Amino acid sequence: MRSLTLHLKVLITLLVSLGVLITAYQIFIQGIPITEDATDDLWNIDAKVEFVANPRDPVKVQMFVPPLNRDYVSLNESFISNNYGVSINRADGNRRVTWSARRASGNQTLYYRLVLTKRYSGEKAKDKGPIFRDSIAVEGPEKIAAEALLAPIRQHSADVETFISETIKRVNNLNDDNVKLLLAGDPSTPNKARVIELLLSIAHVPMERVHTIRLAADQPQSPELWLRSFNGENWLYFNPESGEQGLPSDRLVWWVGDDPLITVDGGKKPQVTFSLNNSEMNAIRLAKLTDENTDADFLEYSLYGLPLQTQQTYQIMIMIPIGVLVILILRNLGGLQTLGTFTPVLIALAFRETQLGFGIVLFTIITALGLSLRSYLEHLKLQMLPRLSVVLTFVVVLIAVISLLSHKLGLERGLSVALFPMVILTMTIERLSITWEERGGGHAFKVAIGTLVAATLAHLLMTVPELTYFIFTFPAVLLIMVGFMLAMGRYRGYRLTELFRFKAFLKD
Amino acid sequence: MFGLIKTWKALEAKGIMGINRRNADYVLKYNKRHLYPIVDDKIITKQRAIEAGIHVPEMYGVISTEKEIEKLNEIIGERNDFVIKPAQGAGGDGILVIADRFEGRYKTVSGKIISHEEIEHQISSILTGLYSLGGHRDRALIEYRVTPDQIFKSISYEGVPDIRIIVLMGYPVMAMLRLPTRQSNGKANLHQGAIGVGVDLATGVTLRGTWLNNKIAKHPDTTNAVDGVQLPNWDGFMKLAAGCYELCGLGYIGVDMVLDQDKGPLILELNARPGLNIQIANDCGLTHRAHAVEARLEELKAKGIQETPEERVRFAQELFGHIRPAEV
Repeated sequence: MRSLTLHLKVLITLLVSLGVLITAYQIFIQGIPITEDATDDLWNIDAKVEFVANPRDPVKVQMFVPPLNRDYVSLNESFISNNYGVSINRADGNRRVTWSARRASGNQTLYYRLVLTKRYSGEKAKDKGPIFRDSIAVEGPEKIAAEALLAPIRQHSADVETFISETIKRVNNLNDDNVKLLLAGDPSTPNKARVIELLLSIAHVPMERVHTIRLAADQPQSPELWLRSFNGENWLYFNPESGEQGLPSDRLVWWVGDDPLITVDGGKKPQVTFSLNNSEMNAIRLAKLTDENTDADFLEYSLYGLPLQTQQTYQIMIMIPIGVLVILILRNLGGLQTLGTFTPVLIALAFRETQLGFGIVLFTIITALGLSLRSYLEHLKLQMLPRLSVVLTFVVVLIAVISLLSHKLGLERGLSVALFPMVILTMTIERLSITWEERGGGHAFKVAIGTLVAATLAHLLMTVPELTYFIFTFPAVLLIMVGFMLAMGRYRGYRLTELFRFKAFLKD
Repeated sequence: MFGLIKTWKALEAKGIMGINRRNADYVLKYNKRHLYPIVDDKIITKQRAIEAGIHVPEMYGVISTEKEIEKLNEIIGERNDFVIKPAQGAGGDGILVIADRFEGRYKTVSGKIISHEEIEHQISSILTGLYSLGGHRDRALIEYRVTPDQIFKSISYEGVPDIRIIVLMGYPVMAMLRLPTRQSNGKANLHQGAIGVGVDLATGVTLRGTWLNNKIAKHPDTTNAVDGVQLPNWDGFMKLAAGCYELCGLGYIGVDMVLDQDKGPLILELNARPGLNIQIANDCGLTHRAHAVEARLEELKAKGIQETPEERVRFAQELFGHIRPAEV
């Protein structure tokens, strides 16, 4: 296209690439869903704490709750308890809830509920951890057994990671006499973990216990023990039963360390039962729900950061460029004649309030009546301004009458003619009147039909919910559209109607 | 769809200019917005033309306020015929042509008798902007009534036929004669139903015409052939049109002229957005001609020469003239 100057080309390229880049960034880097129906798994975890309170003793229950500094985001956390004070404190990367009460007796039940999802976690903080520890002192046969186990482990490993895997494998070999001796006839996982820790400590490799909950719906479960060790950069997670490395994605770290999940002062027989279920939820709504302690920053600087009321306004407003684009295409490519550029868009917006079918009927009737009054007034030889004033007043009265009639007839529709459509109607009639004066009735009629068609199309496009969502979520798309509009500004080809208008040339 | 593409290609090959091209490449490029008032306001156009020594219908007076309507008699004086026009009217609306008067009453061209009050009302309507382009206040212009040359008697119906020449940077590129019909109510506007007849730039002989976007060879009201009429004083028309570039500074204009039987070619008004139907009238596209003129301008710019209106007319006549009408 010779007509596109370099300046314009650069500008268009800049705008379009900027729009594409920002949108791509939002979609691929921030992971914002493209459609409104994209959903996320939502986990609802209930921990039910039961114990028997000693009468006449103050009660203090301490339980670990997930620290939530990993790949999870909490949407809602609640502590359900009667007559208990609740406080939460963080220590060593764990979070602990403390329920306390002056008096309680009999069976007590407390609930902890957490709703979380696995997304929108920002950058992970740098991990930190110990890389050296002192040996745990062992004496006698244990010492010999431990050293006998360690010798082949050292041979078969190259670094911390393989060393730990190898250790776990050895400890799980229950036929080994050394292992039998160390386990002392208790092959439970915590006991294995104890032996593994002992062995590792002799080699000065630090190790921590990690207690996880598995995100699986409707399965009774208790916290599962994993081991982890810091290799100087990352935490490495190991399954104490198999020596496998890496925490499966469905595991949620509940707490880390050697302490039990729950401690009860002033009560006995504490018991915690977990129940999980998951549901799905609209991803954006989910992101909106995430509370302060998460990293859903991307919404911070998007239109979703606005108050809801304002958001709804913007959802309509941000579609206006789409409407303008429709008019632009219809006029410059199609050759449709409309009343200016913006009037059809405004009418399309008015249709939003009146509904399309009713809106078209109303628009047609009122415009026709307004214009016929105008032509009647023409006989009275009135001047333009007074004549228009009469027409507009008449239109207002007419709309009031229609509203009244439809109300009496029990049609709620008529009442939908709010201030906005009315203003636009009167404006349209005024402009049509001027067109009529200047170019005659036939032309005015053509323009009116064109305006109605353009407005209808614009309205239909502006009310596609998927499109509204898309543009509202990725406003950078508007930049791409501006690029297109700029290119259209230099479009020199024929309009569709001209192909018919100039047909006479080809009849030879 | 396929047919449309074929149509597109055929029009492209003929060099037919569409609205988008006219706006982007010519109107926006050559017509500076701040100069529009010169052509939008007929009074300013007239004053400029008089300064430049270009012939226009004589202006008897201007009425710009309601108070001044009282001066109407003074302006008309003893004259029996005159024209009242809105200065910023569009499409020939609001024009009142008085052909005769007797006993304090006036007779319009169509034979309607009107009173002095009705004329005053008409002027007051003009002043309130009833006929102006944006509906804003306007001025009324009272001027000499053109009597069309007898040559048009056989091919015109009422009204005054006028000649429209498209001028690009001072070079006439295409011309047509606009003939009123019964349908256009004596107006010379094509979209109101007047006929457009192409004119050969070199000789001033009419070609065949267009009526409501169709090609025609005869006037629908008088049924006389519209082609082959030799317009008198053609070179005078061409020179007038070419000189309008200096007059208004707009690079792409339509110059509307009339041929008065006593005073010869006169400029009526200038148009900053001339229509495209002239192409159908001439059975020829504007694009190729415009490109030829643009190439010529480049050439002259390289040499640093400015051509006089006469030279420009000669250039246009040599390049675009001597068209043999196509056989039917």
